[in-house]
Amino acid sequence: MTAETFKLLAAGLCMGLGAIGPGIGIGILASGALQAIGRNPDARGPIFTNMIITVALAEAVAIYALVVAIIILFVA
Amino acid sequence: MKNKKILGCSFPLIIILSVILLVLIIYGLLSGPIGKSLLGQEFGPSWLHVESPRPELAPGILFHIGFLPVTNTMITAWITIILLVLVSFIAFRQPKLVPTGIQKFMEFVYCTLLDFCISIAGEKNGRRFFPFVATIFVFIITNSWLGLLPFYGDSLYVVGEGEKHIPLLRAANTDINIPFALALFSWISIEVFGIRAIGFFHYLKKFFNFDKLGSGFKYLFKGKIKSAFGEIIFGAIDIFVGVLELVSEFIRLVSFTFRLFGNMTAGEVLILVVAFLAPLVVGSLVYGLELFFGFLQALIFAGLTVVWMTMAITPHEQENKREEHSQI
Repeated sequence: MTAETFKLLAAGLCMGLGAIGPGIGIGILASGALQAIGRNPDARGPIFTNMIITVALAEAVAIYALVVAIIILFVA
Repeated sequence: MKNKKILGCSFPLIIILSVILLVLIIYGLLSGPIGKSLLGQEFGPSWLHVESPRPELAPGILFHIGFLPVTNTMITAWITIILLVLVSFIAFRQPKLVPTGIQKFMEFVYCTLLDFCISIAGEKNGRRFFPFVATIFVFIITNSWLGLLPFYGDSLYVVGEGEKHIPLLRAANTDINIPFALALFSWISIEVFGIRAIGFFHYLKKFFNFDKLGSGFKYLFKGKIKSAFGEIIFGAIDIFVGVLELVSEFIRLVSFTFRLFGNMTAGEVLILVVAFLAPLVVGSLVYGLELFFGFLQALIFAGLTVVWMTMAITPHEQENKREEHSQI
Protein backbone atom coordinates (compact mmCIF):
# COMPACT_ATOMS: atom_id res chain seq x y z
CA MET A 1 0.00 0.00 0.00
CA THR A 2 1.66 3.18 -1.18
CA ALA A 3 0.74 6.77 -0.39
CA GLU A 4 -0.92 7.00 -3.82
CA THR A 5 -3.25 4.11 -2.97
CA PHE A 6 -4.30 5.77 0.25
CA LYS A 7 -4.91 9.00 -1.62
CA LEU A 8 -7.31 7.34 -4.06
CA LEU A 9 -9.01 5.46 -1.23
CA ALA A 10 -9.37 8.61 0.85
CA ALA A 11 -10.82 10.62 -2.03
CA GLY A 12 -13.37 7.91 -2.84
CA LEU A 13 -14.39 7.44 0.79
CA CYS A 14 -14.59 11.20 1.32
CA MET A 15 -16.98 11.72 -1.58
CA GLY A 16 -19.03 8.59 -0.85
CA LEU A 17 -19.51 9.18 2.86
CA GLY A 18 -20.00 12.88 2.34
CA ALA A 19 -22.86 12.28 -0.08
CA ILE A 20 -24.91 10.18 2.39
CA GLY A 21 -26.09 13.07 4.56
CA PRO A 22 -27.09 15.43 1.75
CA GLY A 23 -28.80 12.53 -0.03
CA ILE A 24 -31.00 11.84 3.00
CA GLY A 25 -31.60 15.56 3.46
CA ILE A 26 -32.66 16.16 -0.13
CA GLY A 27 -34.95 13.13 0.07
CA ILE A 28 -36.68 14.52 3.15
CA LEU A 29 -36.96 17.97 1.58
CA ALA A 30 -38.42 16.69 -1.67
CA SER A 31 -40.88 14.43 0.12
CA GLY A 32 -42.06 17.33 2.25
CA ALA A 33 -42.41 19.59 -0.76
CA LEU A 34 -44.33 16.98 -2.75
CA GLN A 35 -46.70 16.37 0.14
CA ALA A 36 -47.25 20.10 0.47
CA ILE A 37 -47.99 20.39 -3.26
CA GLY A 38 -50.36 17.44 -2.96
CA ARG A 39 -52.27 19.12 -0.17
CA ASN A 40 -52.29 22.54 -1.74
CA PRO A 41 -51.66 22.39 -5.50
CA ASP A 42 -52.28 26.15 -5.91
CA ALA A 43 -49.17 26.94 -3.86
CA ARG A 44 -46.96 25.00 -6.24
CA GLY A 45 -44.86 28.02 -7.29
CA PRO A 46 -43.56 29.27 -3.93
CA ILE A 47 -43.17 25.72 -2.58
CA PHE A 48 -41.09 24.73 -5.59
CA THR A 49 -38.88 27.84 -5.32
CA ASN A 50 -38.25 27.32 -1.63
CA MET A 51 -37.57 23.64 -2.22
CA ILE A 52 -34.94 24.47 -4.85
CA ILE A 53 -33.22 26.89 -2.48
CA THR A 54 -33.15 24.48 0.45
CA VAL A 55 -32.08 21.59 -1.78
CA ALA A 56 -29.16 23.72 -2.96
CA LEU A 57 -28.28 24.38 0.69
CA ALA A 58 -28.27 20.67 1.48
CA GLU A 59 -26.34 19.96 -1.68
CA ALA A 60 -23.62 22.40 -0.64
CA VAL A 61 -22.60 19.90 2.06
CA ALA A 62 -21.87 17.32 -0.63
CA ILE A 63 -19.97 19.99 -2.50
CA TYR A 64 -17.72 20.47 0.55
CA ALA A 65 -16.89 16.76 0.40
CA LEU A 66 -16.23 17.09 -3.32
CA VAL A 67 -13.82 19.99 -2.73
CA VAL A 68 -11.96 17.97 -0.12
CA ALA A 69 -11.81 14.99 -2.49
CA ILE A 70 -10.44 17.19 -5.29
CA ILE A 71 -7.86 18.65 -2.93
CA ILE A 72 -6.79 15.16 -1.84
CA LEU A 73 -6.54 13.91 -5.42
CA PHE A 74 -4.94 16.81 -7.24
CA VAL A 75 -3.33 19.16 -4.76
CA ALA A 76 -2.23 17.40 -1.59
CA MET B 1 -55.03 17.21 -33.58
CA LYS B 2 -53.33 17.00 -36.93
CA ASN B 3 -50.90 19.89 -36.35
CA LYS B 4 -49.84 18.98 -32.83
CA LYS B 5 -46.32 20.31 -32.26
CA ILE B 6 -43.67 19.62 -29.64
CA LEU B 7 -41.10 22.40 -29.09
CA GLY B 8 -42.17 23.95 -32.38
CA CYS B 9 -41.37 20.82 -34.40
CA SER B 10 -43.71 18.29 -35.93
CA PHE B 11 -43.69 14.78 -34.53
CA PRO B 12 -41.56 12.99 -37.18
CA LEU B 13 -39.02 15.82 -37.10
CA ILE B 14 -38.58 15.54 -33.35
CA ILE B 15 -38.01 11.80 -33.64
CA ILE B 16 -35.36 12.35 -36.31
CA LEU B 17 -33.69 15.07 -34.21
CA SER B 18 -33.60 12.96 -31.06
CA VAL B 19 -32.19 9.98 -32.99
CA ILE B 20 -29.42 12.23 -34.35
CA LEU B 21 -28.76 13.53 -30.81
CA LEU B 22 -28.61 9.99 -29.44
CA VAL B 23 -26.21 8.87 -32.17
CA LEU B 24 -23.96 11.87 -31.47
CA ILE B 25 -23.96 11.14 -27.73
CA ILE B 26 -23.10 7.46 -28.30
CA TYR B 27 -20.39 8.42 -30.79
CA GLY B 28 -18.99 10.90 -28.25
CA LEU B 29 -19.01 8.29 -25.49
CA LEU B 30 -17.28 5.76 -27.73
CA SER B 31 -14.55 8.18 -28.76
CA GLY B 32 -13.79 8.92 -25.10
CA PRO B 33 -11.96 6.67 -22.62
CA ILE B 34 -15.04 4.41 -22.21
CA GLY B 35 -14.93 3.44 -25.87
CA LYS B 36 -11.19 2.97 -25.62
CA SER B 37 -11.53 0.42 -22.86
CA LEU B 38 -14.55 -1.25 -24.53
CA LEU B 39 -13.11 -1.54 -28.01
CA GLY B 40 -9.49 -1.91 -26.98
CA GLN B 41 -8.33 0.81 -29.38
CA GLU B 42 -8.74 4.49 -30.19
CA PHE B 43 -12.04 5.31 -31.88
CA GLY B 44 -13.03 8.35 -33.87
CA PRO B 45 -10.96 11.25 -35.21
CA SER B 46 -7.93 12.40 -33.24
CA TRP B 47 -9.28 15.92 -32.56
CA LEU B 48 -11.96 14.37 -30.38
CA HIS B 49 -9.45 12.92 -27.93
CA VAL B 50 -9.21 15.13 -24.86
CA GLU B 51 -6.43 14.87 -22.31
CA SER B 52 -7.23 13.75 -18.81
CA PRO B 53 -8.20 16.86 -16.81
CA ARG B 54 -5.93 18.20 -14.11
CA PRO B 55 -7.90 20.81 -12.22
CA GLU B 56 -5.93 23.41 -10.29
CA LEU B 57 -7.33 25.16 -7.26
CA ALA B 58 -4.78 27.93 -6.87
CA PRO B 59 -5.12 30.83 -9.31
CA GLY B 60 -2.34 31.40 -11.82
CA ILE B 61 -0.09 34.39 -11.20
CA LEU B 62 0.36 36.37 -14.42
CA PHE B 63 2.70 39.17 -13.35
CA HIS B 64 3.66 41.29 -10.36
CA ILE B 65 2.97 44.95 -9.66
CA GLY B 66 5.52 45.76 -6.98
CA PHE B 67 5.02 43.07 -4.35
CA LEU B 68 1.38 42.48 -5.38
CA PRO B 69 0.89 39.41 -7.57
CA VAL B 70 -1.79 39.86 -10.23
CA THR B 71 -3.71 36.63 -10.82
CA ASN B 72 -5.98 35.69 -13.70
CA THR B 73 -9.03 35.61 -11.41
CA MET B 74 -8.32 39.18 -10.33
CA ILE B 75 -8.41 40.27 -13.96
CA THR B 76 -11.73 38.54 -14.56
CA ALA B 77 -13.19 40.08 -11.42
CA TRP B 78 -12.20 43.52 -12.71
CA ILE B 79 -13.68 42.72 -16.11
CA THR B 80 -16.93 41.89 -14.35
CA ILE B 81 -16.84 45.14 -12.36
CA ILE B 82 -16.11 47.26 -15.43
CA LEU B 83 -18.84 45.50 -17.41
CA LEU B 84 -21.41 46.08 -14.66
CA VAL B 85 -20.47 49.74 -14.29
CA LEU B 86 -20.62 50.27 -18.05
CA VAL B 87 -24.01 48.59 -18.42
CA SER B 88 -25.46 50.53 -15.49
CA PHE B 89 -24.01 53.77 -16.88
CA ILE B 90 -25.47 53.19 -20.34
CA ALA B 91 -28.82 52.06 -18.94
CA PHE B 92 -29.36 54.96 -16.54
CA ARG B 93 -27.55 57.78 -18.35
CA GLN B 94 -30.77 59.31 -19.62
CA PRO B 95 -33.48 57.54 -17.63
CA LYS B 96 -36.91 57.63 -19.22
CA LEU B 97 -40.22 57.47 -17.42
CA VAL B 98 -41.34 54.61 -19.66
CA PRO B 99 -38.18 52.48 -19.87
CA THR B 100 -37.10 50.84 -23.11
CA GLY B 101 -34.31 48.52 -24.15
CA ILE B 102 -31.45 48.04 -21.72
CA GLN B 103 -32.96 50.31 -19.08
CA LYS B 104 -36.06 48.12 -19.03
CA PHE B 105 -33.93 45.03 -18.49
CA MET B 106 -31.89 46.56 -15.66
CA GLU B 107 -35.04 47.88 -13.98
CA PHE B 108 -36.57 44.42 -14.22
CA VAL B 109 -33.50 42.86 -12.56
CA TYR B 110 -33.30 45.39 -9.75
CA CYS B 111 -37.06 45.50 -9.13
CA THR B 112 -37.17 41.72 -8.85
CA LEU B 113 -34.28 41.83 -6.36
CA LEU B 114 -35.98 44.59 -4.38
CA ASP B 115 -39.19 42.55 -4.20
CA PHE B 116 -37.14 39.57 -3.03
CA CYS B 117 -35.51 41.67 -0.28
CA ILE B 118 -38.81 43.15 0.85
CA SER B 119 -40.54 39.77 0.91
CA ILE B 120 -37.96 38.52 3.46
CA ALA B 121 -37.02 41.58 5.50
CA GLY B 122 -40.16 43.70 5.32
CA GLU B 123 -40.72 47.04 3.60
CA LYS B 124 -38.42 49.36 5.59
CA ASN B 125 -35.51 47.01 6.25
CA GLY B 126 -35.70 45.48 2.79
CA ARG B 127 -34.99 48.87 1.23
CA ARG B 128 -32.03 49.37 3.60
CA PHE B 129 -30.51 45.97 2.83
CA PHE B 130 -31.16 46.13 -0.89
CA PRO B 131 -27.88 47.82 -2.07
CA PHE B 132 -25.68 45.23 -0.33
CA VAL B 133 -27.72 42.25 -1.44
CA ALA B 134 -28.15 43.42 -5.03
CA THR B 135 -24.42 44.09 -5.35
CA ILE B 136 -23.57 40.59 -4.15
CA PHE B 137 -26.16 38.97 -6.41
CA VAL B 138 -25.23 40.85 -9.57
CA PHE B 139 -21.49 40.40 -9.02
CA ILE B 140 -21.72 36.65 -8.42
CA ILE B 141 -24.10 35.92 -11.26
CA THR B 142 -22.08 37.96 -13.76
CA ASN B 143 -18.86 36.28 -12.62
CA SER B 144 -20.21 32.78 -12.98
CA TRP B 145 -21.96 33.37 -16.32
CA LEU B 146 -18.93 35.10 -17.81
CA GLY B 147 -16.87 32.11 -16.71
CA LEU B 148 -18.80 29.90 -19.14
CA LEU B 149 -17.67 31.88 -22.19
CA PRO B 150 -15.34 29.93 -24.51
CA PHE B 151 -12.33 32.23 -24.12
CA TYR B 152 -12.30 31.68 -20.36
CA GLY B 153 -10.22 28.78 -19.14
CA ASP B 154 -7.50 26.98 -21.02
CA SER B 155 -8.05 28.28 -24.56
CA LEU B 156 -6.17 31.54 -23.99
CA TYR B 157 -2.99 31.14 -22.00
CA VAL B 158 0.41 32.59 -21.30
CA VAL B 159 3.47 30.41 -20.77
CA GLY B 160 4.77 30.82 -17.23
CA GLU B 161 7.67 29.36 -15.30
CA GLY B 162 8.76 25.88 -16.32
CA GLU B 163 6.75 25.88 -19.59
CA LYS B 164 3.53 25.78 -17.58
CA HIS B 165 0.41 27.05 -19.29
CA ILE B 166 -1.39 29.63 -17.17
CA PRO B 167 -4.89 30.53 -18.46
CA LEU B 168 -5.23 34.25 -19.13
CA LEU B 169 -8.82 34.41 -17.91
CA ARG B 170 -10.41 32.16 -15.33
CA ALA B 171 -13.87 32.25 -13.74
CA ALA B 172 -13.43 34.50 -10.72
CA ASN B 173 -15.54 32.45 -8.31
CA THR B 174 -13.24 29.43 -8.65
CA ASP B 175 -10.50 31.23 -6.73
CA ILE B 176 -11.17 30.90 -3.01
CA ASN B 177 -10.02 34.46 -2.30
CA ILE B 178 -12.92 36.09 -4.14
CA PRO B 179 -15.72 34.11 -2.43
CA PHE B 180 -13.92 34.80 0.85
CA ALA B 181 -13.82 38.53 0.11
CA LEU B 182 -17.54 38.47 -0.72
CA ALA B 183 -18.29 36.49 2.44
CA LEU B 184 -16.28 38.95 4.52
CA PHE B 185 -18.14 41.87 2.96
CA SER B 186 -21.51 40.28 3.67
CA TRP B 187 -20.46 39.22 7.18
CA ILE B 188 -19.16 42.67 8.17
CA SER B 189 -22.27 44.38 6.84
CA ILE B 190 -24.44 41.93 8.79
CA GLU B 191 -22.57 42.70 12.03
CA VAL B 192 -22.63 46.47 11.42
CA PHE B 193 -26.37 46.43 10.75
CA GLY B 194 -26.90 44.39 13.91
CA ILE B 195 -24.80 46.72 16.09
CA ARG B 196 -26.39 49.85 14.66
CA ALA B 197 -29.90 48.54 15.10
CA ILE B 198 -29.78 47.31 18.70
CA GLY B 199 -26.71 48.98 20.19
CA PHE B 200 -23.19 47.69 20.81
CA PHE B 201 -23.59 46.34 24.34
CA HIS B 202 -27.02 44.97 23.68
CA TYR B 203 -25.67 43.21 20.62
CA LEU B 204 -22.77 41.73 22.61
CA LYS B 205 -25.25 40.44 25.17
CA LYS B 206 -26.39 37.94 22.56
CA PHE B 207 -23.01 36.22 22.96
CA PHE B 208 -21.99 37.01 26.58
CA ASN B 209 -25.07 36.80 28.74
CA PHE B 210 -24.16 36.76 32.47
CA ASP B 211 -27.42 38.27 33.78
CA LYS B 212 -28.97 35.14 35.20
CA LEU B 213 -25.69 33.83 36.65
CA GLY B 214 -25.20 37.15 38.45
CA SER B 215 -28.69 37.20 39.91
CA GLY B 216 -28.22 33.56 40.89
CA PHE B 217 -25.17 34.43 42.99
CA LYS B 218 -27.09 37.36 44.46
CA TYR B 219 -29.79 34.95 45.61
CA LEU B 220 -27.09 32.66 46.99
CA PHE B 221 -25.65 35.42 49.19
CA LYS B 222 -29.13 36.33 50.37
CA GLY B 223 -29.63 32.73 51.42
CA LYS B 224 -32.36 31.72 48.99
CA ILE B 225 -30.71 28.45 48.03
CA LYS B 226 -33.61 27.05 46.02
CA SER B 227 -34.10 29.96 43.61
CA ALA B 228 -30.33 30.52 43.44
CA PHE B 229 -29.84 26.96 42.23
CA GLY B 230 -32.31 27.37 39.35
CA GLU B 231 -30.92 30.74 38.33
CA ILE B 232 -27.34 29.44 38.26
CA ILE B 233 -28.30 26.48 36.07
CA PHE B 234 -30.19 28.71 33.63
CA GLY B 235 -27.30 31.18 33.70
CA ALA B 236 -24.87 28.41 32.73
CA ILE B 237 -27.18 27.39 29.87
CA ASP B 238 -27.30 31.04 28.72
CA ILE B 239 -23.51 31.22 28.66
CA PHE B 240 -23.31 27.98 26.71
CA VAL B 241 -25.87 29.23 24.17
CA GLY B 242 -23.89 32.46 23.84
CA VAL B 243 -20.70 30.53 23.05
CA LEU B 244 -22.60 28.51 20.45
CA GLU B 245 -23.93 31.73 18.85
CA LEU B 246 -20.42 33.16 18.78
CA VAL B 247 -18.99 30.07 17.12
CA SER B 248 -21.82 29.86 14.59
CA GLU B 249 -21.17 33.48 13.70
CA PHE B 250 -17.70 32.50 12.47
CA ILE B 251 -18.81 29.21 10.95
CA ARG B 252 -21.24 31.27 8.86
CA LEU B 253 -18.23 33.03 7.31
CA VAL B 254 -16.61 29.72 6.41
CA SER B 255 -19.79 28.19 5.02
CA PHE B 256 -20.52 31.27 2.88
CA THR B 257 -17.04 31.00 1.40
CA PHE B 258 -16.97 27.29 0.76
CA ARG B 259 -20.51 27.04 -0.57
CA LEU B 260 -19.81 29.47 -3.41
CA PHE B 261 -16.24 28.33 -4.04
CA GLY B 262 -17.17 24.65 -3.93
CA ASN B 263 -20.14 24.92 -6.25
CA MET B 264 -18.30 26.96 -8.84
CA THR B 265 -15.17 24.79 -8.72
CA ALA B 266 -17.27 21.64 -8.92
CA GLY B 267 -18.97 23.10 -12.00
CA GLU B 268 -15.64 23.74 -13.71
CA VAL B 269 -14.37 20.26 -12.83
CA LEU B 270 -17.65 18.72 -14.02
CA ILE B 271 -17.32 20.42 -17.42
CA LEU B 272 -13.70 19.24 -17.72
CA VAL B 273 -14.56 15.66 -16.73
CA VAL B 274 -17.55 15.48 -19.07
CA ALA B 275 -15.47 16.87 -21.93
CA PHE B 276 -12.94 14.13 -21.16
CA LEU B 277 -15.51 11.31 -20.95
CA ALA B 278 -17.77 12.30 -23.83
CA PRO B 279 -16.29 14.97 -26.11
CA LEU B 280 -19.51 15.51 -28.09
CA VAL B 281 -22.89 17.09 -27.20
CA VAL B 282 -23.04 16.07 -23.51
CA GLY B 283 -20.83 19.01 -22.50
CA SER B 284 -23.38 21.45 -23.93
CA LEU B 285 -26.07 20.01 -21.67
CA VAL B 286 -23.77 20.51 -18.66
CA TYR B 287 -23.35 24.14 -19.69
CA GLY B 288 -27.11 24.57 -19.29
CA LEU B 289 -26.88 23.07 -15.81
CA GLU B 290 -24.05 25.45 -14.96
CA LEU B 291 -26.12 28.47 -16.06
CA PHE B 292 -28.79 27.38 -13.60
CA PHE B 293 -26.28 26.78 -10.80
CA GLY B 294 -24.69 30.19 -11.27
CA PHE B 295 -28.09 31.81 -10.81
CA LEU B 296 -28.95 29.57 -7.87
CA GLN B 297 -25.71 30.18 -5.98
CA ALA B 298 -26.03 33.95 -6.46
CA LEU B 299 -29.61 33.76 -5.18
CA ILE B 300 -28.58 31.68 -2.17
CA PHE B 301 -25.68 33.96 -1.26
CA ALA B 302 -27.87 37.04 -1.51
CA GLY B 303 -30.86 35.39 0.16
CA LEU B 304 -28.87 34.11 3.13
CA THR B 305 -27.35 37.56 3.56
CA VAL B 306 -30.82 39.09 3.82
CA VAL B 307 -31.96 36.40 6.23
CA TRP B 308 -28.94 36.83 8.54
CA MET B 309 -29.27 40.62 8.37
CA THR B 310 -32.91 40.37 9.37
CA MET B 311 -31.97 38.11 12.26
CA ALA B 312 -29.13 40.41 13.34
CA ILE B 313 -31.30 43.51 13.61
CA THR B 314 -33.98 41.70 15.61
CA PRO B 315 -33.48 42.13 19.37
CA HIS B 316 -32.98 38.86 21.17
CA GLU B 317 -36.26 38.97 23.07
CA GLN B 318 -38.39 39.46 19.97
CA GLU B 319 -36.99 36.66 17.90
CA ASN B 320 -40.15 34.60 18.15
CA LYS B 321 -42.37 37.40 16.88
CA ARG B 322 -40.32 37.77 13.70
CA GLU B 323 -41.63 34.52 12.27
CA GLU B 324 -44.86 36.17 11.12
CA HIS B 325 -43.07 38.59 8.78
CA SER B 326 -40.68 36.24 7.08
CA GLN B 327 -41.80 34.60 3.89
CA ILE B 328 -38.91 32.34 2.98
